[in-house]
Amino acid sequence: MISIEGVTYSYGDGINALDGIDLEVKNSELLAIVGENGAGKTTLVKHLNGLLKPQRGRVMVEGIDTKETTVATLAKKVGLVFQNPDHMLFAETVEKELSFALTNFGLPPEEIAKRVEWALIEFRLSNYRDRSPFTLSGGEKKRVSLASVLCYDPQIIVLDEPTTGQDSLQKTRLASTLTKLNRQGKTVVVVTHDIEFVADFIPRVVVMSRGKIIADGPTEEILVRKDVMEASSILPPQLAELSWKLGLESPSIKAEIIIEEIKQMLRGGQK
Amino acid sequence: MKVFKAFEYRRGSTILHRIDPRSKLVYLILFASLTVYFTKPLALFIIFLSFLPMVYVGKISTRWKQSLRGSLFFIAFIFIFNFVPTAYYSGNLLDAAVSAIAMSLRFLNLISVFSIFFLTTSPEDLTQSMVQLKIPYDYALTFNMAMRFVPTLSREAQYIMDAQRSRGLEMEKGNFVSRIRNYIPILIPLIISSFRRAELVADAMESRAFGASKKRTSLHLLRMGRNDLLFVLAATGSALALFVLNVLL
Repeated sequence: MISIEGVTYSYGDGINALDGIDLEVKNSELLAIVGENGAGKTTLVKHLNGLLKPQRGRVMVEGIDTKETTVATLAKKVGLVFQNPDHMLFAETVEKELSFALTNFGLPPEEIAKRVEWALIEFRLSNYRDRSPFTLSGGEKKRVSLASVLCYDPQIIVLDEPTTGQDSLQKTRLASTLTKLNRQGKTVVVVTHDIEFVADFIPRVVVMSRGKIIADGPTEEILVRKDVMEASSILPPQLAELSWKLGLESPSIKAEIIIEEIKQMLRGGQK
Repeated sequence: MKVFKAFEYRRGSTILHRIDPRSKLVYLILFASLTVYFTKPLALFIIFLSFLPMVYVGKISTRWKQSLRGSLFFIAFIFIFNFVPTAYYSGNLLDAAVSAIAMSLRFLNLISVFSIFFLTTSPEDLTQSMVQLKIPYDYALTFNMAMRFVPTLSREAQYIMDAQRSRGLEMEKGNFVSRIRNYIPILIPLIISSFRRAELVADAMESRAFGASKKRTSLHLLRMGRNDLLFVLAATGSALALFVLNVLL
């Protein structure tokens, strides 16, 4: 459970990167945070493991105030994966890269071996076990960075732009990994620009713009709201766009629903 | 990493920003030399005081203060490593303290004078003035770009630190040796991404035909005006005064 109450944060340039954020994320929720560049998404997720502390308001993670604990303690509960894998990869081999966090948290060697094995299989990296992470392709590096955090089994998983540089097959696989972890009771927060990814796989969406939350709710309701999409400079899902153009009474992001509506329109003899 | 604020130029229009870089270079060399030459804490402190009006006139006090705050760690380091050995070998605590204070002040002065120079001199002007001082353009540009990438590097270091701390890295954990080892996960990505960036920049420059013509001409030439000469005179005058003061003290 994460609760963010009235959080304001500024980098000292006179602009509030976060401007009074209220957000509650229940256990085992799967949600996306979307918004234009510079909306404050990354600033917000840095508050979740205490890298940034709120200047006003407070952030509670599993009942702990982030101001009163260290990043290392919170990192055990909140696994945060950043956008650019080049900012975390440093080890000689993929295997050592994956065991870095596990060693930091002081897990016993057998447990480390077991978890590394799980991550290698889950992210299809077994073939690269002994390769240097620097020799991998962009997409593979991204998977190593995801694996290197998910391997220590944090209760809350926060991913900043996990789909960049991934082809559609890898995206689907990422979605199924996230859905699976979510079903096992993990809380998953995904920060992304990839609106189709959100439309297809993520049930709740939070829309940010200029440091504020401008919409929060079920994905199929939020992503079809033209005003919200425009205010946050998000390219709407193609199906939402189609629904608007068709002038559907209740626009949707699900193909089946749109087909059903078109059928009814045709039966009703409209247009 | 705050110490890098000392070199983050931002456009400004104060008199200090408009002074010719070559005049400011004279100031920089004079005052840096005095700082290295002086040994008395009081004389060094007077030099430090002389920076205050410069900082005020150039309106750079925020970044200057940040860079000083960022260098506090190094100053403490310098103080201890000067005080302890001197006190141990000479047995005279007062002498040791005086020389350690002088050393710390010297560092503080050097940071200040370099930061006054770099915070008020635009990188383009600096390159141009180097070229007009007959330094080959390639070297001038290399120097300029190295300065230009300092803030980028410091931002990148911050990103990397955030990423590794999120993976449970505790920088302040352990004894002296393991604390240094804690920097490996920061330094390796930083070095590798710097090499990558250098390659990218080289490619981008070549795509824009860098080096295509051997003889370069400039649209804007720097010209020494009355103010620039007055600045050199004032800098030389006050340096001389400080020199005499140091002998008298």
